[in-house]
Amino acid sequence: MAPSFLQREIIHLYRQCLRECRKKPVATQSHFRYFARTEFDKYKDVRGRDIQTIEHLLRKGRRQLEIYSSPSVKDVQR
Amino acid sequence: MADISDAVIGPLVFPIAEGPSDQAQGSSATIFVHVPVTARSTNDAADDDEEAALESNPQLIAADSTTITMASIARSVLPTQATAASRLSAVAARPIVNNAVRTTAFHTTSRRDLLPPLPQRVDGTVNDPAPIPPTSPSHGSYHWTFDRLLAGALVPLTVAPFAAGSLNPTMDAVLCAAILIHSHTGFQNIIIDYVPQKRMPRTRKAFMWGLNAATAVVGLALYEFETTDVGLTETVKRIWTA
Amino acid sequence: MAALRSSSAAARALAASSRPAIRRPASSVRGMAQLADAAQQSQHAAGENAKMKTFQIYRWNPDTPTEKPKMQSYTLDLNKTGPMVLDALIRIKNELDPTLTFRRSCREGICGSCAMNINGTNTLACLCRIPAEDSKETKIYPLPHTYVVKDLVPDLTLFYKQYKSIKPYLQRDTPAEDGKEYRQTKADRKKLDGLYECILCACCSTSCPSYWWNSEEYLGPAILLQSYRWLADSRDEKKAERMDALNNSMSLYRCHTILNCTRTCPKGLNPGLAIAKIKKEMAF
Repeated sequence: MAPSFLQREIIHLYRQCLRECRKKPVATQSHFRYFARTEFDKYKDVRGRDIQTIEHLLRKGRRQLEIYSSPSVKDVQR
Repeated sequence: MADISDAVIGPLVFPIAEGPSDQAQGSSATIFVHVPVTARSTNDAADDDEEAALESNPQLIAADSTTITMASIARSVLPTQATAASRLSAVAARPIVNNAVRTTAFHTTSRRDLLPPLPQRVDGTVNDPAPIPPTSPSHGSYHWTFDRLLAGALVPLTVAPFAAGSLNPTMDAVLCAAILIHSHTGFQNIIIDYVPQKRMPRTRKAFMWGLNAATAVVGLALYEFETTDVGLTETVKRIWTA
Repeated sequence: MAALRSSSAAARALAASSRPAIRRPASSVRGMAQLADAAQQSQHAAGENAKMKTFQIYRWNPDTPTEKPKMQSYTLDLNKTGPMVLDALIRIKNELDPTLTFRRSCREGICGSCAMNINGTNTLACLCRIPAEDSKETKIYPLPHTYVVKDLVPDLTLFYKQYKSIKPYLQRDTPAEDGKEYRQTKADRKKLDGLYECILCACCSTSCPSYWWNSEEYLGPAILLQSYRWLADSRDEKKAERMDALNNSMSLYRCHTILNCTRTCPKGLNPGLAIAKIKKEMAF
């Protein structure tokens, strides 16, 4: 089944995150990648019909990406 | 919990853009995030030691003042404060607080209204100005002025034939054309309002062509009516006295 | 970590200070708490004639995004509460439910932070009296058709981005003749009255049906009022450019003179008139 509009948006966001990871210092790239991964994993139980929640999480994710992709953010630690 | 999302969504979050020169001077910030090992809710955390709750939740430290300015509201919902306080209030205010009365039917209803507004997309980052559309007076000021003039002209055009008591086919034709164009631009406005170009461009196009077709059909019908039948003014007169 | 601990500890101390002192003794700032306690005791002495009022408040927590928003009821004794809705909200936050989230700052209608929808009208909570006469519940929602950050806090990102797009500052190429400030006559200054007072609380924009439907492209009454404030300024030299920026089908002309903006403005301004004036200046 072809992915829906929302699914495509989510995949697009994840790819954007990974692309931004590559712009970070080499030493910390894995940290960012792991962080992005866990951020997405946190909400993997959200039901697919729950469109409002997914839209909210997408907006939140975009904002988060915007902040973390600032060049002044060099590392994310856990 | 007050992970970065509180700050992230708030409109007052303006991550201060750093120029390359600043970075050269070595002002860099690290964001420390504690990724929770297991997912915990606020209620779970309430059982635990406050410090433990603090450790297990993602926290954001802006190590450098240049990175992130949190909205004041984000500050006010720091996790320890919220959990500790809700624990206190649960004891103190149980008789008064009536929890979870009902789910709001506002914003949240799954019932679809007729033509609900679509989700808003914000272009660019928080600090970019909203994009300014290209100047086109023919869709803007000229269009608006033409609309008003036409609407104003319709008033004497409607009254004149009855006031004068004469039936002039030219006047009738002008009235028909004015009504046709007036309703066309009126419907255009409705389509522009409710079928946004940005999010449903193909639907918009279909609607606009549909409107054009409808206007053409009505125009043709009015022409037929005017040339082969009695005409608009006469019809109104007859219906009025019927 | 140390920085975080100290800041959250400070926040805790602050929060504690505004709650009654019995629950959590805070040594640093407790003057207000003591005052509140004294007031409460005197009220208890006054006795039975409590004026109870129920507030229904929209609650939604972004930490549990799958949960639907709900209305929560709080009952307060109006004799112990200040006259305005904001006083009630602050009291609920202090005494009943510290998780209730809303923006507020000046509590006198000059900052525009506490804009919310009270009993169906967009207004500033600090300028809205609690309707004490009727015993009906007061319903408080965030501004309509905005994304909610939490509880009563709306996301106004787009609103501020739009404000930025109209370039809300004086644009001039020529310096003043005497090298001092740009002067204007009293008559010119008078044109700005009723425009400069706008505090950008977004009450009017979020009450506008046109803005509900086309918020991405239509600027909305608040921003257009500000736009007119710069168009009407005699010192500004970029009037033509400003007008060109508005001269398209969406930015300005989605205003259909509904006038909800003028009706709701908590500062008593008239965005509808300002928009009409822009349209008039741009006609022909």
